[in-house]
Amino acid sequence: MIPLGLRLVISGGREAVTRLVILAIAVGLGVGLLLTAVAATNAVSTWNARHAWFWTGNTSVAAGPAAGVAPLWWHPAGDIFHGQTISRFEVAATGASSPVPPGITHDPGPGQYYASPALAALLRSTPADQLANRYPGRLAGTIGDAALPSPASLVIIIGRTPAQLAHTPDSVPVTSISTTVLGVPQPPAEANPRGLTYTPPDPGGGAGATDLILSVVALAILAPVLIFIATATRLSAARREERFAAMRLVGATRRQVSLLAATESTVAAALGMAAGFGIFFLLRVPVAGIPFIGQPFFPAELTLSLPDILAVAIGVPVAAAVAARLALRRVHISPLGVARRQTPSPPRAWRVVPLLAGLAELGFWTIHGHPASIPGQIEAFESSFALIIAGLLIAGPWLTMVAARGMARWTSGPGTLIAARRLADDPRAAFRAVSGLVLALFITTVAVVAITTQDAKNVTRWSSAAETDVLTDQVSASNQEPGPGPGSSRGTAAPGPAAPAAPLTAQLSGISGVQGVLVVRADPGLTIPGTFHGFGALGFGADQGGPSPVPAGVVSCAQLATVPALGRCPAGATAAAFPADGFNGPLFGVDATTITWPAATVPATRLDTLGVDAINVATDGTEPAVEQARTLLENASAYPGVSTPSTIGDLVAKDNSKNNDYQQLANVVILISLPIAGCTLAAGIAAGLADRKRPFSLLRLTGARLATLRRVVALESAVPLLAVAAVAIGTGFAAAAEYASVAQHYSIAAPGVAYYLITAGGILVSLGIIAATFPLLTRITGPEVARNE
Amino acid sequence: MDRPHRGPAGPALAGGTPVTADRTGTAKIIEARDLVKSFGETPALRGASLTVRQGEIVAVMGPSGSGKSTLLHCLAGILVPEQGEVWFGGQRLDTLSDDRRSALRRDRFGFVFQSGQLVPELTAEENVALPLLLSGTRRGPAMRAARDWFGALGLDGLEQRRSGELSGGQAQRVALARGLVGGPEVLFADEPTGSLDSVSGELVMDLLTAAAREHGTTVVLVTHDARVVAYADREVVVRDGKVTTLAGTRP
Repeated sequence: MIPLGLRLVISGGREAVTRLVILAIAVGLGVGLLLTAVAATNAVSTWNARHAWFWTGNTSVAAGPAAGVAPLWWHPAGDIFHGQTISRFEVAATGASSPVPPGITHDPGPGQYYASPALAALLRSTPADQLANRYPGRLAGTIGDAALPSPASLVIIIGRTPAQLAHTPDSVPVTSISTTVLGVPQPPAEANPRGLTYTPPDPGGGAGATDLILSVVALAILAPVLIFIATATRLSAARREERFAAMRLVGATRRQVSLLAATESTVAAALGMAAGFGIFFLLRVPVAGIPFIGQPFFPAELTLSLPDILAVAIGVPVAAAVAARLALRRVHISPLGVARRQTPSPPRAWRVVPLLAGLAELGFWTIHGHPASIPGQIEAFESSFALIIAGLLIAGPWLTMVAARGMARWTSGPGTLIAARRLADDPRAAFRAVSGLVLALFITTVAVVAITTQDAKNVTRWSSAAETDVLTDQVSASNQEPGPGPGSSRGTAAPGPAAPAAPLTAQLSGISGVQGVLVVRADPGLTIPGTFHGFGALGFGADQGGPSPVPAGVVSCAQLATVPALGRCPAGATAAAFPADGFNGPLFGVDATTITWPAATVPATRLDTLGVDAINVATDGTEPAVEQARTLLENASAYPGVSTPSTIGDLVAKDNSKNNDYQQLANVVILISLPIAGCTLAAGIAAGLADRKRPFSLLRLTGARLATLRRVVALESAVPLLAVAAVAIGTGFAAAAEYASVAQHYSIAAPGVAYYLITAGGILVSLGIIAATFPLLTRITGPEVARNE
Repeated sequence: MDRPHRGPAGPALAGGTPVTADRTGTAKIIEARDLVKSFGETPALRGASLTVRQGEIVAVMGPSGSGKSTLLHCLAGILVPEQGEVWFGGQRLDTLSDDRRSALRRDRFGFVFQSGQLVPELTAEENVALPLLLSGTRRGPAMRAARDWFGALGLDGLEQRRSGELSGGQAQRVALARGLVGGPEVLFADEPTGSLDSVSGELVMDLLTAAAREHGTTVVLVTHDARVVAYADREVVVRDGKVTTLAGTRP
């Protein structure tokens, strides 16, 4: 039977070959996407593992051998350039056997540094006073790819002397490089009590969230492909069933017919699988550039293991054969033909219940507030969105039927009537062709709107718009827990020396684009009342039992006037009290623009003799101004900051950058799934035309115009496409608005023009694909088809 | 349509006297007793009985919707009646499994239907060889056996044509060759000339009856064409789902 089955596959004429090719393409797309998803999962594991050495010296990483290895002084820090995080490590080997970080052949000596290729390129293209001047010495080489999580990683390893690092806070001698990626937040266990309490600026981890995102993306793309495959198998269905019926008549058993069908499907699947591997390897490089995890991959990391390859190579043809057999079980092929199809029962109105329930659940959280705990919130939103997505797919056929019945009732055109009756007759089939599109449009709309809203919120999330361009070098720190971000405060940090502040201030003021400099001078014992603007309620005081006094420094009113974003002095004052911890403390999330600080009794003439808590630089927000100021502050060794000099704008840019990567991902989902949905529509149209060749031909013979038949074809596909797109997009906006209200606590922000262009463009392409089937209609409804076959 | 799981046959209905052919000395090959078959709410057979003797050509006539094709399908094991019995060669046919009935159709019956029902993707030669291939005959011998029929039926030169490239008469002769290639004991024909002109129809019937008589094949054919009936040894009429017979058998 198998040779007979192969014979039928290759000898079926142009129609059969076309079907085989379309099916192979559909399977190829599916296999290619599946392989990409599997490879991306493998790449994520590799990406994650490459963060391990960033955790060297951490208190939660086991200490290396106690003897036999010369220690390596290790000082991890962070840096920022134009909103991008730079992982910075200063090292000093104490002997030939000192451990060497991965990616380099030996530890850099004093006056040398190794940079990642991306950072090396930045160093070359950026004026030295904005970047390179922060790193002492010369570029000795680049860090190898094997040590870098991503081609876009910015990493630098700077050589120092042991004496330098021994006297640098937050430095530790290590005898091994970490091979463990710690989760964020850090686990409580202290494997190395003498290690650092530190979180790298690029910590890795978060595999769970990444897997969730990959799963959603895979679902949004694979669903339309699977539907395309199912539709392509319906091509030439009538002809195949005619063939099977003839075979049953002359004595083929059901099993033999199933085997023939399975052979056919397996051949198409095998061809498609080969095409899929080809698609995967061809697209590996561009796919690696897609920020599935907010960063691109190295193309070489998109790998497939042998079990992955075998699973797909064997699994896909087997699945195709099984699917073919299962599909035949639903259709009774007797010697007299296919069991007479009865008009399927119409979908009922209950189908909209899950969709309404999902929207209602989201509405409930909007009105009553979401659960307090994070797991509770995740559960609430996941169940709401899952209900909405399932609800769209369940309600789709009913919505299609209602629209079609309305069309049939009100139209007077024959073409519209035929199309409407066909849609109403089998709305499930009509909706099936566009259901993948529903999923893609809904997920993408929600994602894009949520991201746009988050970006809008981020601008004023942590401060006022005016504060975003103030660069802060925080020198001192009260009792604080270390947090994420470039470096961290470890317990307390003392103020810096008084004298260097004056010349440094003059240098900063000389930078073009710097509008003012505010030095916060240390005044031990000075506090701001805890009730002042509610700062004390946030627990930033010495004790956290209630509104406690806030440690304060002193600022010159003349300087404060040059940095209006940080408030003002009372009338007549020459000095004012200002929170010593600045944005690391009570000012985080606060708009200080309208605050009038309490007057301080320190004479202005004495200010220059006081130590330095912090240096704030008001800039115009341009890259040269911010980066030059940052370089000067980082190089001011008298003021080693508890964290990298940074602006609120840096935080916003970092958050927005990640969001923009996810938005790019959402655009990829639309760009891939919309044309696939269009191809599915085309395949569905072609299958439908083949089924109705004779009645359409007879219509033409009896005087119906070709334009009328085109109208039928167009409406049968365009109506479900447009109706479903409208419902999916509308539901997406509704769900995103509720989510914005309940989770983001922000008004929904409209997505950018790109979303509308991509969505409209994708729908137009789909309509164009529908129109591309018109020549087929002309060809197969010619008068010669009406002859007896 | 066919019912894959059938319970025990029901009792014979009252009325409707079974009719047996009046041809002494010839064994019965097919016998149907009190067949009842419905399609949904529509009864097609209401106690039809028929006996066919070995080697005879029986024409089944009747108005449209009378149940004659349904009767033929029950006799051929394509459909299973809800009540009644069908016997073939001393073996109960209607209680066999679908696989066993498929094997019968493959190995001991032949079929010629109105529209030929050829497999569109196969050549004429392959269509003729199909029953042999399904039985497990190797391709070479199957194709040789098929080719032998082309000359006999005036189909020389058409071996490599597809069904769409054949005229109606040619396609019907290919279907006839396919029906006879396995040396069937019974050939079932449902309106074999229904879509042919009179000349082609006459040619097909000449060949069909000649081949049947030459090989001793029993023929049951459904027709409403009086010219086709003329080829039969005996004719029966199906009316309202029951079988009656007309007087006169051909010698």
